[in-house]
Amino acid sequence: MEKKLFRCEICKEVNFDVIKDERFKTGRISVTMFLPLNKLTASVYALLPFVLTHSCRKYPDFTSLHQQLATLYGASLFSDVNKIGDMQALTVGVSFLDDKFALEKENLSSQLTQLLCDILFDPLLENGTFKEENVNQEKRQLIELIDSEYNDKRILAKIRCEQLMCKDEKFGISRLGDKNTVSKVTPDNIFEAWKNVLKTARIEIMALGDLDEKSALNVFKSAFAKIKRENIVDCKTQIIKEANEVKEQYDSMDIAQSKLVMGFRTHAALTDPEVMAARVAIALFGATPQSKLFLNVREKLSLCYYCSAKYDRNKGIMMVQSGVEKKNLEKAKAEILNQLEEIKKGNFTEAELDDTKRSLANSYRTIGDFLSGLENFYISQSFDGKFLPPEEFVKNMYNTSREDVINAAAKITLDTVYALVGNEEDAQ
Amino acid sequence: MILKEVKSTRIGDKYFCVEHKSGLRVFVYTKPGFSSTYAIIGTKYGSINTSFKSCGQNEVTKVPDGIAHYLEHKLFESEDGDAFAKYAKTGACANAYTSFDMTCYLFSCTEKFEESLKILLDLVQSPYFTEANVEKERGIIGQEIKMYDDDPSWRVMFNLLRAMYHNHPIKVDIAGTIESIAQITPDNLYKCYNDFYNPNNMVLCVAGNVKPDDVMRIVDESMKSNDNKVPEGIFPEEPYNVVTDRIEQHFEIAMPTFQLGFKEKVGKTRATDEQIAQTDIILHALASKSSKLYKKLMDENLINDSFGYEYFEGLGYAAVIFSGESSNPDKAAKIIKQAIEELHTNGVSQEDFERAKKLVYGRNVAMLNSSENISNAMMNLAFAGRELFHAIECIANTTLEQVNDRLKQQLDNNNSSLSVVLPMPDKKGI
Repeated sequence: MEKKLFRCEICKEVNFDVIKDERFKTGRISVTMFLPLNKLTASVYALLPFVLTHSCRKYPDFTSLHQQLATLYGASLFSDVNKIGDMQALTVGVSFLDDKFALEKENLSSQLTQLLCDILFDPLLENGTFKEENVNQEKRQLIELIDSEYNDKRILAKIRCEQLMCKDEKFGISRLGDKNTVSKVTPDNIFEAWKNVLKTARIEIMALGDLDEKSALNVFKSAFAKIKRENIVDCKTQIIKEANEVKEQYDSMDIAQSKLVMGFRTHAALTDPEVMAARVAIALFGATPQSKLFLNVREKLSLCYYCSAKYDRNKGIMMVQSGVEKKNLEKAKAEILNQLEEIKKGNFTEAELDDTKRSLANSYRTIGDFLSGLENFYISQSFDGKFLPPEEFVKNMYNTSREDVINAAAKITLDTVYALVGNEEDAQ
Repeated sequence: MILKEVKSTRIGDKYFCVEHKSGLRVFVYTKPGFSSTYAIIGTKYGSINTSFKSCGQNEVTKVPDGIAHYLEHKLFESEDGDAFAKYAKTGACANAYTSFDMTCYLFSCTEKFEESLKILLDLVQSPYFTEANVEKERGIIGQEIKMYDDDPSWRVMFNLLRAMYHNHPIKVDIAGTIESIAQITPDNLYKCYNDFYNPNNMVLCVAGNVKPDDVMRIVDESMKSNDNKVPEGIFPEEPYNVVTDRIEQHFEIAMPTFQLGFKEKVGKTRATDEQIAQTDIILHALASKSSKLYKKLMDENLINDSFGYEYFEGLGYAAVIFSGESSNPDKAAKIIKQAIEELHTNGVSQEDFERAKKLVYGRNVAMLNSSENISNAMMNLAFAGRELFHAIECIANTTLEQVNDRLKQQLDNNNSSLSVVLPMPDKKGI
């Protein structure tokens, strides 16, 4: 049974969220900083978490920092950049073994909490700015990370579909920025970005697992006491309720299997009352092995190896991804749309609906057994005004009726079709 | 039938194990207070088992590449329907995978555990292959093969295995090829099933919110005994030397990727918990983020966060493999080999050893957070003749002398292969 989440505000728009849970053998603390996605700032903000976790004043080079982490029983220091709605989410965090397992009973929780604070608030500065060689090192690695997204065609197709679909929206901006802008970032740019983030970002600190949460709270409270918070960012996401016309683009590529991605507007988003019905409709459509897409496009027609639908409620979109042979592209596209129509017409049984709900309930109830799962679950609720535990979602989900599902499906509209087309033969 | 309790005083956890009268070995790791339960049943049969002698027979049976994986797909279907349809009624989330030496079927659930376990045990005991259903799967598996053909990280690994191994079937694609799966029929599927899917050859691991008695009751009800003996795997002689020291392939990618393997001498048995602990410590001392090697590779812009290493070990094969993306894989390989030469000359230092040991220990304990990790680990260990808590004790008890002794048998710079996957030659940049 998952434990309760306690939330307290450290200062304006900086929340400290705790789930103390001794079932786990580790503790995990993360700091997620939200800023509006903007073409001018996306690259420098994307770089920031990686520069911060490279080294800090107390551990002034990469190796000494990681030697300390290794000595503390292989603790991890992680950094990441994500997109939640039209917000860029920068994360830095630590994950560490519980004190009681340390071979000499060392105090890991308080040391790692302090380390995380040092990373965030006490970076390595030289002549009032970040060290150029460290910034260059992280620029190089970020550019390679952007390149690696090109390597994975499944990811590439999804990114290109999103960019095409949302080309006039902030959401179309890549979470990692762009290579050209990244290459021009200077240490001073990073320094300004760092100051700006601490001053103006909306911040969620999550402390989970078996750790000393009281001392963690105090450490962060003292750190933020020294920051003058003002001009806190607006966290707004543009929701386009429905698509007026369909955009289509096909790019040829030297690959064996074509990748088809279809983007839809779901109408329901964020905390709209229809969101849960949309989630159930989308699960029924393509998120379980008993879904319409899996049973028809994959099993019955053998058109694809994978074909599934994913709901992004923070943006109000659904992405259907499939791997398909070039000659079957049009057929797969038609069948995917056909299966959505089936749900709109109510062509699904009570049993199918029950199965879908059972599957969703299982997913929600499993979240509490994993620290990273819990973290993602709550962070995705950052703009909802309040956090609800998984069991609330399960309740809400079971209250969704057949009519609710049909009504939600009725409002889903196709916006964009994108495919990376491979080099096999065309359809005869 | 008595359940044996295995406890770790160091960690505070415990699990129960027993050999069921059907021959199936069962492990149940209780995690009180957790909501979910993860169960996995595996048979010691994978992509490398393409030649074998059925029990009591003299001729060697040869089967097409990819058949173990094909069999995994087909077992989900029985005469009375599809296992996914059954799991839909219990709400479990199910899956399966085929690896080099195992095929596993699993589910995770937060309710109706016993019903789901029954489905799991039934599906591995109900083979049902017809001309029609075998034919239907060919299209789907063909698509899966093509999906992996496009994956540079998959290809770089198999190219490495081809570069290192002359004869051992480890280098064969797990799903086979379009040509090899064309030869799969209901007959040869039944042959492989009957020979290898025998409770004597299988292990069930369950972890999470579960009681051992509940598991055993379902096992008693569902597992039928099988008097067939497990076949003898036939493996060709494999020389110590690698085939070639370099192999290259071009792909439609932006970032080159590499795998550098160091092939080892192997005996008739698997590595022990002690040896695995020693090797893990050696590798982390040599190449983790706290090492001189990592710093050098990073400062010369030759690696990024994708850099990793593992001890790739099984029956008849063992190699240390370094992998990652790199703008210049050949230069990265050269530097890694220089560091290895230095390591052989100077040995692992006391300081590096202490630090690596703590890291390996900490990571292994942290892994026990997850029922999925626990079950998969216990399955692997059971097939390898190793044990979970003993493995952790070995880490805690490893000495510097042991580590430096073990080092002498590993990382032979003269017996390594580099596999690289590079962008298309005329690529000018994205």
